Amino acid sequence: MNTVKHTMKLVSDEMSTSLMPFPVDKKLCYGWAQDIPRGGETILYTGCAYQLALLGHSYDRLIPLITKIKGIEKLKGLASKVITPSKDQVERSWQILRKMATILRKTGVEFGYLYEDEPYSGAILLEMGLIDEFKEVSKKVFSIFEKYNVKRVITVDPHTQYALLRGKEMNNTAIEIRSFYEMVGGFKASGVFTIHDSCLYSRFLGLRDAIRNIVRSSGINLIEDPMITGRDTSMCCGSPIAPVNYKVSDSIAKMRAESLKKLSPNVLVFCPFCYENLKAHVQVKDFMEVVNVE
Amino acid sequence: MSNWEIAVNRAIQNNVPRVYSVLEAHKYIEDMARKVREGKLKVLGNIEAYVEETLKSVKRTGGYGYYVATPEEAREIVLKIIGDRKRIILGKSMVAYEAGLREFLLEKGKEVWETDLGEFLIQLAEEPPSHIIGPAIHMTKEKVRELIKERLGEDPGESHEEIVKFVRNFLREKFLSAEVGITGANAVAADTGTIVLVENEGNIRMSSVVPPIHISITGVEKILPNLEYAMLESLVQSAYAGLYPPTYVNVTSGPSSTADIELKRVSPAHGPKEFHLILLDNGRVKASHDPILQEALLCIRCGRCHYHCPTYKAMGSGWGVPPYSGPMGAMWSYVVYGNKEQALLCCHSGACANVCPMKINIPKVIEYIKSLYFKG
Ligand code: SF4
Repeated sequence: MNTVKHTMKLVSDEMSTSLMPFPVDKKLCYGWAQDIPRGGETILYTGCAYQLALLGHSYDRLIPLITKIKGIEKLKGLASKVITPSKDQVERSWQILRKMATILRKTGVEFGYLYEDEPYSGAILLEMGLIDEFKEVSKKVFSIFEKYNVKRVITVDPHTQYALLRGKEMNNTAIEIRSFYEMVGGFKASGVFTIHDSCLYSRFLGLRDAIRNIVRSSGINLIEDPMITGRDTSMCCGSPIAPVNYKVSDSIAKMRAESLKKLSPNVLVFCPFCYENLKAHVQVKDFMEVVNVE
Repeated sequence: MSNWEIAVNRAIQNNVPRVYSVLEAHKYIEDMARKVREGKLKVLGNIEAYVEETLKSVKRTGGYGYYVATPEEAREIVLKIIGDRKRIILGKSMVAYEAGLREFLLEKGKEVWETDLGEFLIQLAEEPPSHIIGPAIHMTKEKVRELIKERLGEDPGESHEEIVKFVRNFLREKFLSAEVGITGANAVAADTGTIVLVENEGNIRMSSVVPPIHISITGVEKILPNLEYAMLESLVQSAYAGLYPPTYVNVTSGPSSTADIELKRVSPAHGPKEFHLILLDNGRVKASHDPILQEALLCIRCGRCHYHCPTYKAMGSGWGVPPYSGPMGAMWSYVVYGNKEQALLCCHSGACANVCPMKINIPKVIEYIKSLYFKG
C-alpha cells in the first residue's frame, strides 16, 4: 500500500506543475477538436478523461513495478517509454468527442473549447482521497475558467462532472456545471443492448433516469434485470481502485461483465473508464459509438 | 468461478430480493429505521452521559455494568467474572471477536464453544468470519461436511438438514453443561439497562438463559436512549438483514427472578443468577466526537451494504480487519483498529449508502478515512 502513497505523491506533484496526472503529450487531449472557437461563455470541457482513460491502465499495471525499479522518480522516465496508446485507440476516443461536439451543436448549444489550456479536473486525486491536494488543483482549474470568463461548463464524462461539482462547492463559484447528457436528446440508434451504469451518473449525480430515457427513446432495445441493472444492484466496473489494486479491480470488472452477459452480449456504457475496465471481458460500446448523427 | 464467487452469488441471490420484499410488505419498517437513527444520534451526541446512565440502570436491575476502554480491559473483566469456571458458551458477538475473547479464554485453559452455527463452523475451521451476519457464507455444504468430519471425527451427513441436526446434537450437551454464557447485544436501553438480542437459531436464548452466569459484551454505540428505541433497533436490524420477522427477540434486564411467593422478589429463578454488561469503547467514544466518523457508529450490523458492494463481492473477508468486512468494515477497521488502508479499496460505487437503513453516507466516511491515510 505504501506504493500507492508514493504513486499518488507523484501524481499530485505532476498535477501541481502541469495540471495533468501523468506526463503526457497535451496534443492527445486537444487533438480531436476541429473548428471550435477558443474560449467563450459556454465551453465543452473534456477534462482529458476520454483521452487519459487510454493510459490509465498502463499506469495501473506499472505501479507494482515501482518498488522493483527502486524509486518513484524513475517511473516518469519508464512511463514515457512504455506508455503510448495505439493510434486506433486515440482515434476512437477522438471520434467520440467529435460526435459529442456535433450533437451539442445540432442541439443549438453554442460553445467554445480551451485547447491546450484545458486542464485535467483532478478527479483521480478526489477519488483516491487526496482531498487537500484536490482542493488546490480544483482552485487552479476554476481560475483557468475564470480567466476565460467561462460561465457554463459542459462535461462529457461522469468523473469530470463529479470532480467539477465537488470543486465548485469547495471554491464557492457561480460557474454552472452541466453534463452533456442533461443537455441533449432525440438520438437515433438501434440494436439490442444491456446497460452498465456509471456509478457516479447513477447514484451520485442523479442522471440514471435521464440516461435511460435517452437510450430507450433512441430505438435501442434495452434488456434489464432488477438484480443486475437495478438502481442499487448494478455493480461498479472496478476502475476506481485500479491504482490501488489492479488485480481486485480486474476481478470486479470480470464479475460485472459476467453478470451483464446474462442479459446481452452487447453492453452500453457512458464512461470511458467503465469502457476500459470492462472491454477485456465483454463486448462493450460507448453510447456515442452507436448513435447516428446525420 | 472461485468457491467464494459461487458462495457470495448464492448469498446475494437469496438475500437481496428477500430484503426488498420485506420492506415492501411491511412499510412501517422504514419509519422504524428513521426513528432508530434519530435515537442513535441522540446518544452519539453525548455518549459519555448515556454510558453512565446505562451502568446505573443495569445496577438497578440487580446486574453489574462495566465501561472498558480497551479489549485488554474487557478480557480481564471477563476472566475475573468467570473465575475458576471452565465451560463457556458464546452466542454470536462481534465485539467478543474484536476483544479476542475466544482465543484468550482458550489460552487460559477454558473449554469454549461458539453456539451460532456459522460461528461454530468458523471456529472449527479457524477462519475469520466472511460476513457480519453470515460468518460462514464462504463455505459450501460440501466443505462444511468435510470440515466436521476432519475436526470432529464424525460424518454429519450430506444434506443441510443432516448437518444442522448433527451440530444441534453436538452443542446440546454444551448448552446444558455450560457455566457461563457470553453474548453480544443488538441494542442496550439506557433508561432500563436492558439488552435486546435478535436471532433465529435459539442459541442466544439458550446461551443467555441456561448457564448460571450471563455476560453480555457490546460496544458503547449500541446504547439507545430507552427501551422503545432498543426494541425498534432489533426489529430494524433483522428486517434489513432479510430475516423478518425474527424468530426470537430476547430482552434481558438483570438476572432472573421471581416474586411468586408472597410477591417478594428473589433472585435467581430458573435463569442466570448473575448478569454482567460490559460496554467496550476501543475508539468509539473518540469517533463519536468527530462529525464525519460519528456516522459510522450508527451502523446496526445488518450486513446489507456488503451485498451491494463490488469490492466485498470480489474480496470477501479479505477486505476489512476481522470481524469487520465490507463497506461497514472499511469504516470500522479504522474506528476500532486505526487501519486506514482498508478504505483505499472502496470503489465509491455508492450503492451501500442507498441501501443502508441508517442512511450512513458510507462513501463520505470512507473518503474521509482515505484522506487521513494520505495525510498521515
Ligand atoms: S453500514 Fe448500514 S447497511 Fe452496512 S451493516 Fe451497517 S447499518 Fe447495515
